[in-house]
Amino acid sequence: MSYIDIQNINFAYHPKRPILQNLSLSIDKGQWIAILGHNGSGKSTLAKAIIGLLEPDFGTIDIDGMTLSPTTVYEIRKKIGIVFQNPDNQFVGVTVRDDIAFGMENLGVPQAEMLEKIDFYAEKVGMKAFLDKEPAELSGGQKQRVAIAGILAMQMDAIIFDEATSMLDPTARRELMDYIRELHNEGLTIIMITHDIEEALWAQRLVIIKDGTVFRQGTREELLKEPVTFIEAGLELPVGLQISNALKQMNALSLELEEHLWESSLKK
Amino acid sequence: MGIQFKEVSFQYPGWGKQFFEALKDISLTINDKDEFIALVGETGSGKSTLAQHMNALIFPTSGTVEINGVPITAKRNKKIKYNSIRQQIGLVFQFPEYQLFEETVEKDIMFGPKNFRVPEEEAREMAKKALNMVGLSDKYLTRNPFNLSGGEKKRVSIAGILAMNPKILILDEPTSGLDPAGKKLLMNLFKSIQKETGKTIIIITHDMDLVYEYTNRVLVLNEGMLEFDGTPDYLFHRHDIDKWHLDYPATISVLRAINDKFHYNLDIYQKTIDAAVSTIAKAVQS
Amino acid sequence: MKNVIIGQYIPGSSFFYHIDPRTKIIAVVVLMVATFLLETIWQVLIGFGIALILIIAGRVPIRKIVKGLKPLYVLLLFTLVFQIAFNRVGTIVLDATMQISPFSILFMIAATIIWRLLASFKKFSLLLFFAYLVGLFFIMKNLAFSPLWTTWQLTIYDQGLIMSGFVIIRLLIIITLSTVLTLTTKPTELTQGLESLLRPLKAIGLNSEDFALIISISLRYIPTILDEANKIMNAQASRGADFAEGRLKDKVVQVISLLVPMFIIAFKRSEELADAMESRNFVPGKPRTRIHDLKFNYRDLITTVITVLCLAGSILVKVL
Repeated sequence: MSYIDIQNINFAYHPKRPILQNLSLSIDKGQWIAILGHNGSGKSTLAKAIIGLLEPDFGTIDIDGMTLSPTTVYEIRKKIGIVFQNPDNQFVGVTVRDDIAFGMENLGVPQAEMLEKIDFYAEKVGMKAFLDKEPAELSGGQKQRVAIAGILAMQMDAIIFDEATSMLDPTARRELMDYIRELHNEGLTIIMITHDIEEALWAQRLVIIKDGTVFRQGTREELLKEPVTFIEAGLELPVGLQISNALKQMNALSLELEEHLWESSLKK
Repeated sequence: MGIQFKEVSFQYPGWGKQFFEALKDISLTINDKDEFIALVGETGSGKSTLAQHMNALIFPTSGTVEINGVPITAKRNKKIKYNSIRQQIGLVFQFPEYQLFEETVEKDIMFGPKNFRVPEEEAREMAKKALNMVGLSDKYLTRNPFNLSGGEKKRVSIAGILAMNPKILILDEPTSGLDPAGKKLLMNLFKSIQKETGKTIIIITHDMDLVYEYTNRVLVLNEGMLEFDGTPDYLFHRHDIDKWHLDYPATISVLRAINDKFHYNLDIYQKTIDAAVSTIAKAVQS
Repeated sequence: MKNVIIGQYIPGSSFFYHIDPRTKIIAVVVLMVATFLLETIWQVLIGFGIALILIIAGRVPIRKIVKGLKPLYVLLLFTLVFQIAFNRVGTIVLDATMQISPFSILFMIAATIIWRLLASFKKFSLLLFFAYLVGLFFIMKNLAFSPLWTTWQLTIYDQGLIMSGFVIIRLLIIITLSTVLTLTTKPTELTQGLESLLRPLKAIGLNSEDFALIISISLRYIPTILDEANKIMNAQASRGADFAEGRLKDKVVQVISLLVPMFIIAFKRSEELADAMESRNFVPGKPRTRIHDLKFNYRDLITTVITVLCLAGSILVKVL
């Protein structure tokens, strides 16, 4: 059985404008899955549904064997964490230390244990020197790392990244992606929500969302075999693959060139 | 006329008695016609600070900024109306949608001209023109700006600055947060504005693809210093731009990699994907 | 001044910094009560003396306290004038006839001009102001010449001076006490101290934990909000909004152009923050552990003892 099982969920704020329509998806433990879609496709709403911030009108979500409901949501929030897009609007504590502690405080973790964990996980995300700093002194990328530390400190199995890099500059973005890869290598399940295909290609499995439902899904190799999929979903291919496509249509694409362009686009 | 920086430095107070040097000894000239300039550099290099000197929001600590003949120095001159400079030099900040506050799109766009004492009817005309210039129809005039989509909001806020009819338009990361289609739409908009009106447009951006495809002059800032002032081609022909924390445009990187692997001799300096494709196609088919 | 922990707080390590915030809060309140129990100027002077000794012993920068008094100069001056004018008790200290004539008016105008011209020497502003007052006094007393328009009698009684001194010094003590509190206690510690002290109020339905969380989150966002306000002002200034000048009608629109975006950003922030807090297992009302502990130490004992002694002293003095 998969770790996260989403079955036929539907959600709408207004009945005439459904956001999620009959969406079904399975995510295995330890996977790195990218949920890709253009702005307005419903992907962020999906993220909120998984973590129980909104309740689907129909359908069920099972996480680690538990069905998500108003009573089980508290247990589920101990297993999955979420990093949001705006680094400022998720930073609760007055200092880095206070913010990392916030989640643990909510769970009633004893003080001595909290202090130990904070030191450990701050070091892990490279923010140990900043423990007494205030958020005003941190960059966007640093705040996101503090958010990650807070989640790791609660010893969660999975992290959802809801467009977590979109407000960062290119350097910070790359650093965060590198760090997410590290996390995945350590066994965490990563669910990455994005509209950037370059980022999505870091993941093993891609799920393309269009009009509130799953449009296509598969490994990156599988999906890239039919690049028109991305265009139909309102997404743009990386430059190398756009070139490859155009050349193919002109019959000017040799096998070696195609392979090269493919590999260099996927090389992460 | 235009903007001239003469050995401009800017410091602001940091902790204790320390000062942070945001700009060091900057000298450059910007024409008030026909330039399409990219201002690049990593975060913290001073780009926004430089932009805010250009419309007298910030005064230099030393040196002179001359804007359309008006000299701006560290000392505030009571005779100069600094506010009127901001009509001639339009500055659009990052995430401009946050500046929207009126009940209708029309009223919001009119805010700029009215602040400069443009009479009501004329302001209305300018608002309509500006709205059309950003590709939105008259239908939007009566709509509530807060009910628009993100992309539409961005365009309305840009129209708010265009309506003042500035000679020089500065945009701080105008495409940030937009998906690829949105980025293209906006950049083509700027290109057409530049062609039709001859205004000078300065764009602060991290996106080298956009720089290469759309602009004709690049200013590179690094740690507060102006390290490069020239055409994009000159910039990207260099081999050391990573010391300024800059990337090459994707077309150049891809073509360079192909050359390296297959020992072709392609001209890697192609500004668009179509140009890159035809370069490769020609080489392959011969 | 972007730092929230700082605010009024100045990092240090003297005695006062290590007292539990709860003790400090209660001590300050008790000492303020003790101060208001005093009745004569001598008692108040002694009180002030004690306060000074404590400050010096605690190595609190006096300069900062003086700075904290600045906004009150006008109030103190008003007190002085009020007492002098209306207190007619005791022996006469000064009885002078003040004369107003065209000449004296001219001289007073000249004095005013000189005072304003010298006002750029900010360091001596207080001194200059008093010199100005003395100058006015001198002009009205002696430099009138004829023709006289009118005269008025300036009579100062000793009780007037004494009473104003009493009120002023008492005010000084209060300000000093509260300034020492905020100088040596981080806002977060104050919040925690208050939360701890207000915990008994849970019985009447007031949840001090939630209250403390609200305060600490508000504190955390102050620099962020200031930053945003600045950005919005710059954006609107770039559209010609001149926040310095303009007619009243313009000013209203300018303020709206600042407030509306700030409110919108604030609402968006509240929603996103609530989502973030909820996803991190925050449940309002559910007991939480705390990363910072308040612990008493020997310093609290010393402080309590001194406070109690002062209070006892005040009560005794009042009763005897």
